[in-house]
Amino acid sequence: MNLQAIKAIYVYEMSRMRRTLLQSIVSPVLSTSLYFVVFGTAIGARIETVEGIHYGSFIVPGLIMLTLLQNSISNASFGIYFPKFVGTIYEVLSAPVNFLEIVIGYAGAAATKSIILGLIILATAHLFVPLHIEHPVLMVFFLVLTAVTFSLFGFIIGIWADNFEKLQLIPMLIVTPLVFLGGSFYSIEMLPETWQTVTLFNPVLYLVSGFRWSFFGQSDVSVHVSLIMIGVFLLACMSIVWWMFKTGYKLRT
Amino acid sequence: MQNAISVQQLTKTYDSGLTALHSVDLDIHDGEILALLGPNGAGKTTLISIICGLVRPTSGNVLVQGHDIQTDYKTTRSLIGLVPQELHVETFESVWNTVTFSRGLFGKKPNPALVESLLKDLSLWDKKDAKIMTLSGGMKRRVMIAKALSHEPKILFLDEPTAGVDVELRKDMWQLIGRLRQSGVTIILTTHYIEEAEEIADRVGVINKGRLVLIEEKNELMRKLGKKQLTLELHQALQTLPEGLSQYDLSLVDGGATLVYSYDTQAARSGIGSLLADLNRSGIAVKDLSTKQSSLEDIFVSLVEGAR
Ligand SMILES: Nc1ncnc2c1ncn2[C@@H]1O[C@H](COP(=O)(O)OP(=O)(O)OP(=O)(O)O)[C@@H](O)[C@H]1O
Ligand SMILES: [Mg+2]
Repeated sequence: MNLQAIKAIYVYEMSRMRRTLLQSIVSPVLSTSLYFVVFGTAIGARIETVEGIHYGSFIVPGLIMLTLLQNSISNASFGIYFPKFVGTIYEVLSAPVNFLEIVIGYAGAAATKSIILGLIILATAHLFVPLHIEHPVLMVFFLVLTAVTFSLFGFIIGIWADNFEKLQLIPMLIVTPLVFLGGSFYSIEMLPETWQTVTLFNPVLYLVSGFRWSFFGQSDVSVHVSLIMIGVFLLACMSIVWWMFKTGYKLRT
Repeated sequence: MQNAISVQQLTKTYDSGLTALHSVDLDIHDGEILALLGPNGAGKTTLISIICGLVRPTSGNVLVQGHDIQTDYKTTRSLIGLVPQELHVETFESVWNTVTFSRGLFGKKPNPALVESLLKDLSLWDKKDAKIMTLSGGMKRRVMIAKALSHEPKILFLDEPTAGVDVELRKDMWQLIGRLRQSGVTIILTTHYIEEAEEIADRVGVINKGRLVLIEEKNELMRKLGKKQLTLELHQALQTLPEGLSQYDLSLVDGGATLVYSYDTQAARSGIGSLLADLNRSGIAVKDLSTKQSSLEDIFVSLVEGAR
């Protein structure tokens, strides 16, 4: 294991992120506050509680997941797309590193940043609504697992994309809708029967649901199912990345 | 002598169907400076890219100090430093950070003293905290050289290192290459400038259309293929060559005022003595004379032209 290389990539990526730290923190914090104002105040005035939980508090796990997913994907996809775009990837490809080391360095840095962001959102939320976390260890575990999984997913998108449009395509077209339809802001029990069944095919539901369970000790689907689903997705992403390096997909001609 | 690199039957066909290398065999000796010459699109960069791990070979093998570049890539890549042909740099990063990053990436522990001496050697020390985008093209190339040397490679590839580089930097670069060679580093460089190969290489390889058409000690090459020319300035211009001189390889230039005699340095006798005697006999007076050895450039052009 080339630990020096992992460290080098990780530190380099983190310093790149530090340069844009302010904007990357300000915008999610601002949008979280807006969500609270809009959803919490406007909707919260009509729906006071969901499953016995104050609505403002109920949406916190969903909001964090939304930020976590979006940021993990965009950090990681950009992190690997950029060197490809400017050509500096040559150095990584000519270095004595294997795919695992490259992925740990790049996706690890991206995941770190979104975990930090997730915690900042949590702190921001705390200013607006009362929060009590039932299972803090599991909460952190979900946070880390989701950040890592979706950083891997972003890494895959970054390698696959050969222009900026493609880089934006999947996050905009697939991920954002899935997050909004995955029960981030409501309980699926509030949906009509058929839509409840459709939602069960949305992987984000399991993330949000499991995460919410760690906060309130109750959720739409069982926490075990949630964990298994994230695990499956993580494995799927790992296999794709492994295959990409094995075949040199879009990296080596 | 152990080979630094041994290329065996290396073939590369790109996805486009274009075969950039046709079964190339090449041994690069430990500690030498090898210059690879060849016209645009000859396959020089492809060859280097395969050895460095950027491009996958279609067939054939490459051994770096006896290690296979595919099965033992971690070993081979940590021995190699690469300065690619294109300028690829992180625009927003500082010179210091980017060079430090390269060292770590190649698995070496941080060594600020080494990075400092590298930057000083390359006259980049006063720019160490500058963002790379604020540097000139020549400085960026030096940054890329610093990155390639940051992990103390045993083998250094320089793909057209002098493209877009001024005389001063070129001189610095030759000095640096000289020092590296002294310390035992094997250096492979590609160039379009034949004088460069003539100046610093120990051996010269010529690649044309994906084939290694020649590989030879530079001195040997110049001796073997080198023709000499004797240039005679005449007192009076000639219209035509006199009958009695037809056995010599002569040509009239400068409107007949100059006579050029080509002869082979390898031949037992140059024929200069008898030519001068014959000229004298024909009543042609010579004002001045000089000889010139044909350069690598002539050799190169004749090789590449010959293959067309
Ligand atoms: N990624 C690629 N895909 C398809 N063809 C390629 C690729 N890279 C290079 N080629 C082709 O392979 C051939 C050899 O290219 P290469 O870059 O190795 O030449 P070169 O000798 O380095 O030329 P130059 O002196 O211009 O740098 C060229 O015909 C080129 O068009
Ligand atoms: Mg080239």
